[in-house]
Amino acid sequence: MNEQTPDRSLAARQGTDYGETSDVQDVHAAIQREKREPRVGLEPLSIWLIAVYGLAVFWGGIYLGRYWGNFSGDGLDPLGGPPPTKKAGAVGPGGGGEQAELSPVERGKKVFLANCAVCHQANGQGSASQSYPPLAGSEFTTGGSRRPAMIVLKGLQGPVTVKGQKFGSAVMQPWETLGEQKVADVLTYERSEWGNNASPVTKEQIAALRKELASHPASFTEPDIMAVPADAELSGGAAAPQKPGEAAKPGANPPPPAPPKT
Amino acid sequence: MDATEIPLKEPAVSVAAGDTEQVERALIDASTRVPVLMFYASAIAWLLIGTVLAGFVSFKLHAPDMFSNISFLTWGRVRPAHMNVMVYGWASMAGMGTAIWMMARLCRTTLRHPLLLVAGAWFWNIGVLLGVGGILAGDSTGYQWLEFPPYAAIVLFVAYVLIISWAVLMFRFRRGEQIYITQWYLLGAFLWFPWLYAAAQLMLFVVPVQGVLQSAVGWWYANNLLFLWFGAIGLGTAYYMIPKVIGRPVYSYHLATIGFWTYALFSSWTGMQRLVDGPFPAWMITASIAATILTIIPVATVGLNHHMTMQGYFPVMRYSPTLRFTVFGAMSYTAFSLVGVLISLRSVARYVNFTQASIAYSHMGLYAFFTMVMFGSMYYIVPRLVEREWRYATLIKLHFWASAYGIGLMTLMLLAGGYVQGGSMNDASLPFLESTQSVLPYLRGRSLSGLLLAASHFVFAFHFGLMLLGLGRTSTVPTFLNPVEAEGSEGHI
Amino acid sequence: MKGLVSLFIGLFGTFAFSWLGLTLIPNFQIGHLDPQADEEGTDIYPMPQSGMAERGRRVYVANGCFYCHSEQLRPDYIASDLDRKRDLDPHPKWGERRSAPRDYIFARPALLGKTRMGPDLANIGKAAPAEEESSAPATSGSPAASPAQAPSASLAPSAAAASPTPSASASPVAETEPGEPRPYSAAWHHRHLYSPRDVNRDSDMPAYRFLYEKRPVAGEHFADALQLTGSDAPAPGWEIVPSYDANCLVAYLMSLDQSHPLKEVKSGAPAPAAGGSPTASPAAAKGTK
Repeated sequence: MNEQTPDRSLAARQGTDYGETSDVQDVHAAIQREKREPRVGLEPLSIWLIAVYGLAVFWGGIYLGRYWGNFSGDGLDPLGGPPPTKKAGAVGPGGGGEQAELSPVERGKKVFLANCAVCHQANGQGSASQSYPPLAGSEFTTGGSRRPAMIVLKGLQGPVTVKGQKFGSAVMQPWETLGEQKVADVLTYERSEWGNNASPVTKEQIAALRKELASHPASFTEPDIMAVPADAELSGGAAAPQKPGEAAKPGANPPPPAPPKT
Repeated sequence: MDATEIPLKEPAVSVAAGDTEQVERALIDASTRVPVLMFYASAIAWLLIGTVLAGFVSFKLHAPDMFSNISFLTWGRVRPAHMNVMVYGWASMAGMGTAIWMMARLCRTTLRHPLLLVAGAWFWNIGVLLGVGGILAGDSTGYQWLEFPPYAAIVLFVAYVLIISWAVLMFRFRRGEQIYITQWYLLGAFLWFPWLYAAAQLMLFVVPVQGVLQSAVGWWYANNLLFLWFGAIGLGTAYYMIPKVIGRPVYSYHLATIGFWTYALFSSWTGMQRLVDGPFPAWMITASIAATILTIIPVATVGLNHHMTMQGYFPVMRYSPTLRFTVFGAMSYTAFSLVGVLISLRSVARYVNFTQASIAYSHMGLYAFFTMVMFGSMYYIVPRLVEREWRYATLIKLHFWASAYGIGLMTLMLLAGGYVQGGSMNDASLPFLESTQSVLPYLRGRSLSGLLLAASHFVFAFHFGLMLLGLGRTSTVPTFLNPVEAEGSEGHI
Repeated sequence: MKGLVSLFIGLFGTFAFSWLGLTLIPNFQIGHLDPQADEEGTDIYPMPQSGMAERGRRVYVANGCFYCHSEQLRPDYIASDLDRKRDLDPHPKWGERRSAPRDYIFARPALLGKTRMGPDLANIGKAAPAEEESSAPATSGSPAASPAQAPSASLAPSAAAASPTPSASASPVAETEPGEPRPYSAAWHHRHLYSPRDVNRDSDMPAYRFLYEKRPVAGEHFADALQLTGSDAPAPGWEIVPSYDANCLVAYLMSLDQSHPLKEVKSGAPAPAAGGSPTASPAAAKGTK
């Protein structure tokens, strides 16, 4: 610890050990024998090194030029292949031509997955923990078509009891803006999927109901819905099941095999 | 250019400096004693913890049922714990300790208020402890090298600001006009790290970027941490220790300048090559591969500069532990970078991607290069701080050879295993399990190399503990690895 | 290097260049992708995951599954990812197309993976047998062991203990015995997580038994209880039941599915890529077997 009195005698005492000589002045031997702090020389660059630089830049440049994929966010292919051409193929089948060939149930499924499945889930089970009631086996969905049509068109808020379970907090928005055709399709889908087996709904029926409810301003509540008889069907065009597809299975409405929710 | 005529006997210009300079050095060493030893002691403690965790990681890969009933010892938690202990506990703390000491020496100024640095070290330790505990408890964030949960990351960042402000303050009070090469690297590391860390935290946790870009940011962070933080400190240390020990100027200022700036420019663009063929725009990957190719420039430059400085002095490695470790590390830097170029090329990456080869690469960078350089600097600095010489030359030799053979074997095993694994993974006619089965012998070999490394770490920790307890030798002569033969060589340490 | 100012400008400049180039520009290019939809705004892919699957992702991350399992497929001109069949059930391959940035827009964190010590999981949810699939991505993360399996589960310990199963686990294509869960079904995942080498002798996956509870049977067997055989089977009167975390983890695995075609990548799938009703995944075709 004696910084002020550095020992000047540098007699090499290799082998002397701690304890043998407790000469505290030796502790600075490391600092004394130490070399100067590093400095820098000024040798010039070698021509060979410059050649190596050139090669590295050349190689890197070639690589960049060859595989840069057009610097585009879509260019996943390093050789800059033409990925967007696939688009033409995708437009064809998705376009209007095929649209007409889809059955109401298929169209309804698309509408459902795009708009309804976020809450009611793709399997129609809803989510009890977040207060989204199920559609599969629901007495509202599978009963007469008037009740579900009212709910879809105008929305529903406040507590509601579905399949004996009480749902409270969630609010369903009105879906009138989807248009009559899509509302009809999605109702048809919901009423025929997940073991549900109820009659299809047509565009004309929805149009009629929409006119009827035109003056109704806000969402329905459960009492509004319960005021309508459970088996009330929509009026208008119900007798003409248009292009039923696999949905319109003739027969009564057997109670759906409701999977027990635990 | 031709330095071969320089004799092994040291030139007259580099004999020990005058009295005032010696007193100045003594004062600087005294002021850095407590914080630097604190950093070193913590780092070595983390090194031991990380080694034990590494043992779990390595053995559980071929014995998966080991401890599998215990949630916090499951492989998927021990592995990130090991990585983060090594990265933030061992490597960062050792690097900061060395950096603080070198900065003080090069700025020729004593460390002001060293106790605040000690507080920074404590905070850092708490941050790492919290982070590792969080990972083992199941709070990992899921980004490579950023697994520490946010509460630990905040502590780390506060600690870092404490530490860095004192390093910058030291630079502010420097004496002398020259800014030496090491200071470039250290200033770079100290400025880049907080930016990198903050940017990654910001883009991953505060305002998270979308989808795959999280992976891009994650690998950008990991590779830049490897190059701009560890790489910069490691190269800076090599630039200090090599000329210091042999007492000769660094070969060329021009090479140093070119090497530094091309390093900063190109190595910071690497990282995306680790995501090769993934769901990313091709140009990102290609840009990183091209940057990796261009790192040949700094590698060649820095390697040549070190080599020409060492020219004629290679025999000194027989005696000096510092030089032996440092030169091993500097050479590994070249090997690490060249392997990095090789496995990043698209035509090679398609075989070694998703295999153990990327783990070999990380170990080459963090261990064969950085850790070995840190060991070297500790062998130089610790005797000056505790004012004792290393006690046993045998232990230093044991440490060196166990480390060198251990990391060499590990690299070979993982690279070869990765190649074999990739080959069978790319043959779709083989069941997938064939690829994991084929790599198992290599993983067992890796475990063996891990035992060597573990032995070297425990030897070193024991030796360091002796030094801390004041049980080193009191002698005017340093602890040489081998008996000195040439006259006047006692200065070569 | 003379001026300190130029040193600092250089240090900042080089790093800012990299930051800009490797994170900010990509964020500008692909950082704000929307889900893909067809002209009517329907048939949306990808969709956000349910709450249970999201929690399962946390479990997946916490236990480091992503260190060994990637969730990305490379294109066919690079590697054989797309030709690779799963070891236990050859029918659904690893995938039909390469992964694209759009597949991950709701993933946080995106778990692309770096090492494959286990198979890729990008499409593991799609590999599930068809009857499981419809209920899997939804809320009930324990897909209720699909009513058909529930009764057999209650018989499991006594019935299954009688039939030793090593032969089944060794054969590459597991001809599932009655009472054995089908490969890649939810019940299979639970069993695999609990005892990997019971399902596949050479597996090097660690067991995740701490995700399961052992508890005495109270009256009826719990429907979700694991059907275990051999040395793993609990003592009579006890059953192994997945914890909530285990159920979430399996819900997450079952939700992994990149089979939906994307416009920006070439799809190798011949049939389902036509765009008709893509959500009815091709697995439905093999639903009968």
